[in-house]
Amino acid sequence: MKNKLMRFSGIFTIIICFLLISSINIFGQEVQVSEWNIPFLNSITGPIASIGEYMSWSAYRAADEINAAGGVRGKPIKIEVIDTGVSKDKAMEEMAKLVDSALVVMGPVPEACIMAAVPIAVKAGLFSLVSSTSYEYAVEYFPWTLSWYPITEEKLPPITAAWAKLHPDMKTVVQFVENWAAWPPMAEAHAVGLESAGVKMLSQVDVPTDAIMFGPLVLKALAQKPDGIVLTCNSEKAAKIIIELVNKGWKDMAKILVFSSADDTALYTTGGDSIEGISIYNYIDLNLDDPRWQAFREAYKKDHDGIEPASLSTNYYDSVYMISEAIENTGITGDPAKLAEERVKIRDYCRNVKGFKGVQLTWDMTDGVPAGKGTFLFEIENGEKVFRAMAK
Amino acid sequence: MEIFIAQLISGLSLGSIYVLLVTGFNLMLLVAKIIQFAYPQIVVISMYTCWWALKITSNKLLIIIAGITVSVALSLLSEPIFRKISSIKDVDINATFIASMGIAMIMMDVMSHSFNYGFPVAFPPKWIGGNILSFGLITISKGQLFALVGGVIAVSVFFYLLYRTNQGRFFRAIAENRLAAELVGIPITKTSIFSYFIVGILGGFSAILFSMLIGSASPWLGEFVALKMLAVSIVAGLGNLHGGLVCGLLLGIIEAIAVGYISGSWSNVIAFVIMLAVILIKPEGLFGTKI
Amino acid sequence: MSEVLYYFLGFSAIYILMGWALYLPYRVGQLNYLIVACMAITAYFGGFAAREWNWPFPVILIIGIMISTIIGLIFSQAIGKAPCFTVVIVGLTSVFIVKTVIENWKLLGGTVGFFHIPNVNGMLIIIYGLLILVGFLIYRIDHSRWGRAASVVFVDKDVAVSLGVDIKKIGMFFQIVSCAIAGMAGTLDAFLVRSLSPEFFTFGMIGYLMCILFVGGYTTMWGVIFSAFFLQGIPLMFPSSIASWRQVIYGALLVLIILLRPEGIITRKMLWRMKPKAYFPVNTQIKNSKS
Repeated sequence: MKNKLMRFSGIFTIIICFLLISSINIFGQEVQVSEWNIPFLNSITGPIASIGEYMSWSAYRAADEINAAGGVRGKPIKIEVIDTGVSKDKAMEEMAKLVDSALVVMGPVPEACIMAAVPIAVKAGLFSLVSSTSYEYAVEYFPWTLSWYPITEEKLPPITAAWAKLHPDMKTVVQFVENWAAWPPMAEAHAVGLESAGVKMLSQVDVPTDAIMFGPLVLKALAQKPDGIVLTCNSEKAAKIIIELVNKGWKDMAKILVFSSADDTALYTTGGDSIEGISIYNYIDLNLDDPRWQAFREAYKKDHDGIEPASLSTNYYDSVYMISEAIENTGITGDPAKLAEERVKIRDYCRNVKGFKGVQLTWDMTDGVPAGKGTFLFEIENGEKVFRAMAK
Repeated sequence: MEIFIAQLISGLSLGSIYVLLVTGFNLMLLVAKIIQFAYPQIVVISMYTCWWALKITSNKLLIIIAGITVSVALSLLSEPIFRKISSIKDVDINATFIASMGIAMIMMDVMSHSFNYGFPVAFPPKWIGGNILSFGLITISKGQLFALVGGVIAVSVFFYLLYRTNQGRFFRAIAENRLAAELVGIPITKTSIFSYFIVGILGGFSAILFSMLIGSASPWLGEFVALKMLAVSIVAGLGNLHGGLVCGLLLGIIEAIAVGYISGSWSNVIAFVIMLAVILIKPEGLFGTKI
Repeated sequence: MSEVLYYFLGFSAIYILMGWALYLPYRVGQLNYLIVACMAITAYFGGFAAREWNWPFPVILIIGIMISTIIGLIFSQAIGKAPCFTVVIVGLTSVFIVKTVIENWKLLGGTVGFFHIPNVNGMLIIIYGLLILVGFLIYRIDHSRWGRAASVVFVDKDVAVSLGVDIKKIGMFFQIVSCAIAGMAGTLDAFLVRSLSPEFFTFGMIGYLMCILFVGGYTTMWGVIFSAFFLQGIPLMFPSSIASWRQVIYGALLVLIILLRPEGIITRKMLWRMKPKAYFPVNTQIKNSKS
């Protein structure tokens, strides 16, 4: 009887211990937050407010979709957009507010704010997804950032070379370059690609940031009698330069190439019919036959008076998904005691995610640099972008 | 030679923008004794109004009226603020510069926050019009012709008003000596309000010409031109209408020629270096200040 | 200390220095925007010397101040007694020219910017130590013969001349000291932010400095201290939806202050009233004798 009792109590103790251990384990994995707060340092006022607006829109859309599908680990995602304008000290102070509590940060958006604020995040071991900028800026803060785009010198030459190959009679090209952030290095990469395809680069035309009329600039370009034009300036300026080129008798529209950052709403609203026939390279294919993309596109148009999504419009949509995937797959709990460890988990997941399904493309990340992300070349035909080539 | 003539035409049309802005700015300075730094922002808001009006109606007269009305309304709305500032004892003209800077900051931020999602607005080709004359690279667009002719007409009417009418005499008398003008019975407040009205009309008119010439408007357009407007006005001599006319056109031409004939990024800065040199050598401006 | 507080205090102190740099020449009625150009030059010099040449911080700071003092000295030869708006435009064009030079200078990172400026330990203590030192210097200047002469120049230049004040000399003195302070602020800013971009030194910064000077009060050195903390703190206190309208808030504050309290929040009269009554023994005696 005593033996039985002892055996029973032994088994009972083992069961209790097992339950206790497993309960500790379960509690350890349990989500400790009521919602996943993702701060987004964005620029919704000032000169790039229009870009900031659609970046916020796309981040909110991703969060709404994720929440409608049950959230992440059962908890909803909340995007907290914090405006930095283009002010460096505002960006730094806002980033400083986040370093003690945020799991991960999206942004900042303007390059000047990235330069000022990301070092604070790096110092605190906080991962920032600076998904709107180019490699030049992101790489400076590795491993605490990732580059949304492949290395500029590797990414851009193939696409300008592909454009040159479509126009074998194009022997000389003039490039218009606006002195802004990473655009001059991008312009250099364009030239490398064109020269590799046997195209001679003529004297570059610099576009002042405060230019309001473009006649003199266009005349300077046309005086060199180029066969082709590359526009590395903002969308509104690119549109106005094209209008001016047409006014001065430019006929071969496909030999005007607009770079990705200028593929923005103002190119179409300002350019109107004048941009018919031009070439554009960017990172999204509007006509992609995919229900998720088409739903995104329709929702975007509905909320923006029928305007099509711009090249940068999907970056923070995908970023929200990437973060939620990281939380889901690495078992993040949101426990403040594990903050440092979980920040590293998110960082390591995002920087090396494989087969990430973006709204447009599926790609791999290797140590913070994407691979398999293509660049598309289009021509405008009857107001629609028609695919011409792709470079990887 | 063809390029040179084409650059000259481009420079003249760019200059006409500066002339229109500087003329309105100088009138405010002479009669109302204010530095209206927010004047270009008023012009830009008036351009936005034309853009909205274009969405609703194709009646050009209505669009022009809408643009001018908003410009006049904004100009008149700022009048009590500046009148109050000017009436404060021991406060000089600098205070109006600071207040107008504050107004410009508000206007610019409201535009980037609330108008068209912050996107620039573009005017349709039917509004801008195509080329009137085309000879190789030498082209004159409808917008350029309108801006040049319209600018000349606007400035001529304004000069006529200033030098051939009673109201103009009032303006000049106040500009010359405010106290003496008051002593001889010139209604200072009424004349001052009238100057805001005139500047409002000039602003609306400028907005229409700019919309045809530039073809679009953005929240930061005002800031881009405000600096040059102030620079031209100071290089010419503050309040000097004739000087503003010459220097405005000259700046447009210098900018065009510099871009055309000086290679590299440094061409952008030539106009500023010239202006800086002129100011350092002649701090009172090329034509002398009138205030 | 929390990171937010660290940067809030750091930036506030740098803006106080820049506010004082703007305040000093305004004692003689000049708005010296050249300080922003000086700030940019010394910030880049400091960043480059520290990262590329491994120069120690104190040497960089001293040479930075020397560079900006020389710039001030050269410019003040031409604009020492120039009218306010001439000085304004010299400053604005200089900022534009300096920005263009930086943008085109690949060694300085061009438009991309300049990264990884070495860390200096105890930066906040250094900043506040220098702030107190500069504050003491300005206090001494304000209460010296120069300060009293400046007050007369501000009110009436003719009276000042008749009293034997050399207007050019006094203007030059204030411009040089102002540029030296801005040079110091530029170096400190570079080591606080530890990155540099041409976009850091814009027209927006000038607007913000104007707000600091005129909201706080331009008649005493204390106004700048109050408004630098106040304006830097406002966006941090409000939720982001309201803070995003900060440009409108700054603009509105500027206009309201000019309208309601043209000398700014902290004025000389206010400080006068705050002084202990015993400070005026003569008045007390008169009062007593009457009773």
